[in-house]
Amino acid sequence: MTDLDLSRVWLVDPAQGREGPGELVVVDGILETVTWLEGAEADGIDPTGVVVAPGFVDLHAHLREPGNEDAETVASGLAAAAHGGFTTVCAMPNTTPTLDEPGVLAAVRGAASVSGSPVELLAYGAVTVRRAGETLAALGELADAGVVGFSDDGAPVRSAAILRNALAYAGAADLPIVDHPEDATQTEGAEANDGFIATILGLRGWPIAAEETAVARDLAILAEVARDVPGARLHLTHVSTAGSLELVRRAKAAGLPVTCDVTPHHIALTDEWIAGARRFAWEAGADADPWRDEAIVAAPYATSLRVNPPLRTPADALACLAALADGTADAIATDHAPHTEVDKTVEFGTAANGIPGIETALGLVLLAVDAGRLTLPRAIEMLTTGPAAVIGRQRGLVEGAPADLVVFDRSDGWMVTADALLSKGKHSPLLGMELPGRVLLTLAGGRVAHEAPALVAV
Amino acid sequence: MTDVLDGPTDAGELVIPSVDVAPEDGAVGWRHRHLLDVDDLSIDDIDLVMRTADAMREVLARPIAKVPALRGRNVTILFYEASTRTRVSFEVAAKNLSADVVNVAAGTSSVSKGESLVDTVRTLEALGAQMLVMRHSVSGAPYLAAEVFNGSVLNGGDGWHAHPTQALLDLYTMRSRLGSLAGRKVVILGDVLHSRVARSNIWTLTAAGADLWLCGPSTLLRGFEAWARHGVAGSRRFHVTSSVDEALRDADVVMALRIQRERMASGLLPSLREYAARYGLTSARLATAKPEALVMHPGPMNEGVEIAADVAAGAQSVITDQVTNGVAIRMALLYLLAGAAR
Repeated sequence: MTDLDLSRVWLVDPAQGREGPGELVVVDGILETVTWLEGAEADGIDPTGVVVAPGFVDLHAHLREPGNEDAETVASGLAAAAHGGFTTVCAMPNTTPTLDEPGVLAAVRGAASVSGSPVELLAYGAVTVRRAGETLAALGELADAGVVGFSDDGAPVRSAAILRNALAYAGAADLPIVDHPEDATQTEGAEANDGFIATILGLRGWPIAAEETAVARDLAILAEVARDVPGARLHLTHVSTAGSLELVRRAKAAGLPVTCDVTPHHIALTDEWIAGARRFAWEAGADADPWRDEAIVAAPYATSLRVNPPLRTPADALACLAALADGTADAIATDHAPHTEVDKTVEFGTAANGIPGIETALGLVLLAVDAGRLTLPRAIEMLTTGPAAVIGRQRGLVEGAPADLVVFDRSDGWMVTADALLSKGKHSPLLGMELPGRVLLTLAGGRVAHEAPALVAV
Repeated sequence: MTDVLDGPTDAGELVIPSVDVAPEDGAVGWRHRHLLDVDDLSIDDIDLVMRTADAMREVLARPIAKVPALRGRNVTILFYEASTRTRVSFEVAAKNLSADVVNVAAGTSSVSKGESLVDTVRTLEALGAQMLVMRHSVSGAPYLAAEVFNGSVLNGGDGWHAHPTQALLDLYTMRSRLGSLAGRKVVILGDVLHSRVARSNIWTLTAAGADLWLCGPSTLLRGFEAWARHGVAGSRRFHVTSSVDEALRDADVVMALRIQRERMASGLLPSLREYAARYGLTSARLATAKPEALVMHPGPMNEGVEIAADVAAGAQSVITDQVTNGVAIRMALLYLLAGAAR
C-alpha cells in the first residue's frame, strides 16, 4: 500500500474552508495526519508551489464504453481522469447500448474493475429509453443499482412533460435530473455561437436563446414539481451563457432546488478561437474582434473547437467565471468528450461535437486563477466539494480515511501533446500549449492513480 | 487594411507581371500560397490582382487567347457542388495559361462512396495535382484541404463563407466602369444570410472605400447587424437595412443575389411571389438609383424573382462583363499563386 510524507506544501481543503502551509502523512493508503503549519514553520511556503487538495470530482464525462471503444474506454478514460487530478468520475449514459437499464451499468462497472484503476467510477442512467425522449427509462431499478442521477446528455430531455415526470420520479429517490439545456428547434444544423464571428465565418448560428429558453423551461417545471416532491432536484450541466446563469441565479434566490456546472473550456475559450485567435477570455475582453486586434494566429475552422454548447463570447465566458465566484455555479465539470480522429478530421460542419477536457481542466482553471478571475480555494472548491454535493457526497482531507487527493505543482507547467494525453481523444484545442499545474500525484481510495514520471525519480 | 483602396492608377511604380513567361521568372510581390479567403488580402495584394487581371484582359483580347505561363502545371478542379459558371470559368482560365486541367465532379467520384475530403485531396495530389481549385458546401472546407495539400488551394466557394474570386471579379468590374469606388454607394440585395458572395464582397468593397449597403428581408440578414456593429476589422463600416427604398436611393451599383426555393421550406420567407414583389430588382426600383447605376448579379439568376428579365438584359447591366472579367481574374490568381508556390 501507499506511503507518502509531504512536508512544507500548500494545503487546500474546501471542506474545512481552509488553505495554508502544511504537512501530510499517508501510511498504508490511509491519510494519517494533516498538519497545518503556523508561525516560523510556515515561512517560505506559498500557494504558488506544490499544492495538495482533495481529489477532484467530475460531474460530466463521456467514457464511450460500451459501444465506441475506439474513441475512449473506461480504462483510458479513468487513466486520463487521474492524470487530470480527478478521483471520481460521473460517466454519461450516452453509450451504445444506452445506459438505460442496470445491465449496462454492470458492464461499465465491470470494465472499471478490470482496468484496475482506483479512480471511482459513478454513472448516470438515461432519463428516457435509448435517450429517445419518449418513455421513461428504468429509473427505479437504476436508482437501486446505484446511479447518481439521470441524464439524456448529448441531447436535452426534449419533452417538457417527460421532464416533469422524471423530476418527480427521480426526486422520490432523491436523485437529480442532469439536463443539457438546449431547445433543438433553434439549433438545427447550428455550428457556432450566433454572433458576428459565426456570421463572418459563414457558420450556422447557435443562438444563446436556444439555451436560455431551455433553462427557463426547466426552471418553471422544477418550481411546480418541487412544491409537491421535496426531493426533486435539477442540475443544469455545461451552462454557457450569461443569461442562463442569471436565470439560475434568480431561481436559487427563490429557493429552487437547482444546481449547475460550467466547463473549463467555456470559462477560458471563446468563439473567436474558431476564427484562429488563441486568446483566453480574460485577455480578449468583452468587445473582442480578432480581425481588428490582429489576434488571428492559427488557421480557422479547427474542428477541435466544435462543441455543444458552442464556445460563446468573452462576455459569456467571464459570466461563467463570475458565476463560479459568486456561487451561482456549483461546480466545474469537464464534459470530457473524446472522439476518434476520423470523426474530427473532417470539415468543421460535419465534425463531431466535443472536447476531451479531463486532463486540461486543472490547467485552464489555474490560468483563470493566475489571471485573478478566481481565487485558488474557490477553484478547488468548484472541483471538489462543489460537485460532490451535487451528487450527495463529501470531499475533504479527512484524517483516518483512505487518501483521496491530488498533488500538483503550480510552478511547473506541462506541454499539451498527443503523447502527453492519456485519453484516446487527442483532439484537444490546447495541443502545443503549455498549461500550469503539473499533476505530480493522484491518490484515489488510498492507491496511486497517477504519478508524474519525474516524481518516480525523486 | 484601413486605407482606402483607390481606383486604377498609373502602373508606373508597380511592375505589371509579364504574363507571357512562367510566373517564377518575374518577381511580382505576391506572398500567398493559397487563396482561401479575402480577409487576409492587403490593399497591395488586391491591387496586384487587379493589375494582373488587366494584363490578362489584354491576353484575352488577342486573336489566340493563350499564353504558356502555366505549361506543364496540373490544375485540378474539385467541385462538391453543382456549378457551371465558376467551374467553366476556372477551366478556361487555366487552359488559357496552358495548364493541364483535371476536372473532378464529386458526384461521380469515390466521394459519393463516402471518401473523406482529406483522402480525396491526398489522392488527387498523388495523381499529380499541383493547384487545387475547390468548391464545397461546408464553410471552411478549403482550409482542411490546404492543411494536407502540398500545392496551392484556390477557394471556388465554401458554404456560406467565402467566394474570393467572385468578390475580386466584382470589384474589378466595378472599378473598370466607375474608377475609384471611394464613397460610391454599392447595394447587395437579396439572400445575404446564405451568401458567400456577399460575405467576400463585404471585405473587398469596404477595403475599396465603398459606401456598402446590405438589403433584404430581415430573416435573410441575420447576423449581419452584429457584424456591422463591430465593423470590418474594427474600422470599416457598412449598412444593413430591410428597406429596399432606402438601400436603392441614389445607388451607384446594385448587385442582386439569387433566392433559392429551399428558403421557404425553412420558414425564412412566405413565398417567392412575395419576395419578388417586395425585393425584386425591377426597372421601377432601379429608377430610384442613379441613372447610370450598374446592375450586377453573380449568377445563376432567377429572372422574375430577384431580378426582372428586362433589368438583367438592360443597358445598365454588366452581368456579362462579370463573366468575362471572371476569366481574367482567375487567370491572374492562378498565375500569382503559381509564382508564390515555387
